[in-house]
Amino acid sequence: MRVLLHTGKGGVGKTTLALATALGAARHGHRVFVLSTDAAHSLGDALGRPIGARPTEVAPGVVAQEIEVLAELDRAWQDIRGWLRELMRDGIDPLVAEELLVFPGLEELIALRAVRDVEASGDFDVCVVDCAPTGSTLRLLRFPDALRVFMEHFFDLERRGVRLLRPLVRRLGSDRLLPREEFFDAFERLYRDVEDVRQILLDGDRTTARLVVNPARVVVAETRRSFAYLSLYGVATDAVLVNRVLPEEAGAGFMARWAERERRELADIEASFPVPILRAPLRDREVIGAAALGELGAGLFGDRDPASAFTRNRPIRLRKSGHSTVMEIALPGASKEEIEVTRVGPEVLVHVRDASRRIALPTSIEGREIERVELRDGVLELSFAP
Amino acid sequence: MALFRYQGIEDVVAEELALLPGAEELATLAAVDELARQGDRDLIVVDCAPTDSTLRLVTLPEVSHGAVRVLLRLQRAVASVVTPLATGVVPVPLPDGRVFRDAERLLYRTLRRLRERLLDPGTTARLVVTPERMVIDEARRAHRDLSLFEIGCDAVVMNRVLPVEAAEEVFFRDWAKLQVERFDEVCGHFAPLPVLTAPLQDDEVVGLERLSAHAAAMFGERAPAAVLGEPAAVHYDASDSGYRVRLPLPGADAEELDVSVVDDELVVRVGARRRALLLPGRIAAAHLCGARLSDGELVVEFEPPAPIAPQAS
Repeated sequence: MRVLLHTGKGGVGKTTLALATALGAARHGHRVFVLSTDAAHSLGDALGRPIGARPTEVAPGVVAQEIEVLAELDRAWQDIRGWLRELMRDGIDPLVAEELLVFPGLEELIALRAVRDVEASGDFDVCVVDCAPTGSTLRLLRFPDALRVFMEHFFDLERRGVRLLRPLVRRLGSDRLLPREEFFDAFERLYRDVEDVRQILLDGDRTTARLVVNPARVVVAETRRSFAYLSLYGVATDAVLVNRVLPEEAGAGFMARWAERERRELADIEASFPVPILRAPLRDREVIGAAALGELGAGLFGDRDPASAFTRNRPIRLRKSGHSTVMEIALPGASKEEIEVTRVGPEVLVHVRDASRRIALPTSIEGREIERVELRDGVLELSFAP
Repeated sequence: MALFRYQGIEDVVAEELALLPGAEELATLAAVDELARQGDRDLIVVDCAPTDSTLRLVTLPEVSHGAVRVLLRLQRAVASVVTPLATGVVPVPLPDGRVFRDAERLLYRTLRRLRERLLDPGTTARLVVTPERMVIDEARRAHRDLSLFEIGCDAVVMNRVLPVEAAEEVFFRDWAKLQVERFDEVCGHFAPLPVLTAPLQDDEVVGLERLSAHAAAMFGERAPAAVLGEPAAVHYDASDSGYRVRLPLPGADAEELDVSVVDDELVVRVGARRRALLLPGRIAAAHLCGARLSDGELVVEFEPPAPIAPQAS
């Protein structure tokens, strides 16, 4: 299944273009699922009809769903909840269990699971994801990393500790207080689910990101950073979609300066992103409803299949250089001062401004020294000694 | 959390801990509060992230207060049984009660302070929209959700309104007509909040000069730092039959609303958000006997418990 992630700065038209893409893909014969993971859902607003948490057919071959976090959490955490309830049977109000379940940030994790569920159903060729604005999307992408560290460094110790303690505590008759195996199982299931999704997201053959921008300076600047961050997390961007480009007939009179500025910004966009740039013109009225969205999609993609990969660039690559091995990480738009590389055991920790990622090294270079770190033409190169 | 304090794990995962849910928002709020407490500024303007993140930000102190309470209670319950036995048995030192008390005090104090900052009458939210359907729909929901958490909104700003000279051009004719309707709609929906408009300028608003011109157009004679409209608040009143709690919930739909009382808290769920409001003692002792939506307010009625007549002996 192909997965297309749509993200960008707030208000640029992510939802609109995600739907235009979905409708276009369906016209090419794909069975399409549109998933909104932005808790501020807009699919219904853009389609001009309510969507909600049940998969709803919105056009022939297109099913849409807005993930409802509270309900999903209920489902995902039933075992953990059961244990909490039991634990708190005496004296503590039952509501607290529920409070724990809305611990901020779990939303992202749950949203991630939905992508896997769509794939597991086998009913769809394409999953178009309408993500939250850039910041939250990046958090969504790094959540598996954070969870992995938690599982590896903390969780196993905890579980082992509880196993060891259980016989001792049982003698005191208070082992009810220790988390049961089901608790850990639930956690592990969740972790496995997230790992599955991680596999999907990081597989450049299946998943690519589409960055939605407007031809405005403040938007382009932020999007350049997003491109680098996505790349750092291992997600390949295969196209930049420019929304609301003033058409020629609108670019005269009052809008003349805007049109002039847009020409400059468009040139800048072309130069900033090493991927195809597609344009959707500003329409003379609001684009609401499946018909208008379909039209917009047709203009955006022309004869191309919106679900195809528009370019193949792996964000992280390995190549041989003499006897050394070079790891290349595409970080367009990043400057040398913003980058910091640290070796942590079998992993490399890469900081780019306020984002950081641990990259597990393949076994072939795991134990090797880093000889050199260089930033060349928007590509970070780490050379590993032979 | 405190459990991470063993075996140098602090160093290993400190990085990732900073990525854990809520950490960013907490840091942001703390920075705002810090600025406010320094006292050498009259106004702090916060440029928030798009809707969902903003709601997460402003609801965080309350939501995590609940979550932290549960976590701490849980861990303490486990540790009280486990710690005395654990020493020397497992390689993992379990935290003792003192660690929990410290963590609890620190977290509660911080969260309470941030919550107070958000509820201060001097803190208000301004909703920014453009004359577009999708944007307005989202702002309406944001208004409802902010109200649920008692974050007062004092004005709505409609940005990028086509000026007359642009509206006369053929291409923008439909847009111009539409935005008149949208403006009326926004005024009606967000009433009594004032709706300020900022016209689309003839170039991108970048740089101090253009930003100042934008401000002049937007505020006119008004003081941008003043509280511009009356933010709605929660009221606890006596009624004919008992007590009445009124919670502003503009734009809420009865279908998506769920009201219950658990112990001394009134729990309101609207769409995907849920809030537990601590009730004053006298109301908490009364019975929930009805709830309705009226004029953008959730009205919850309570009946005092029937007096227990002294039994004749």
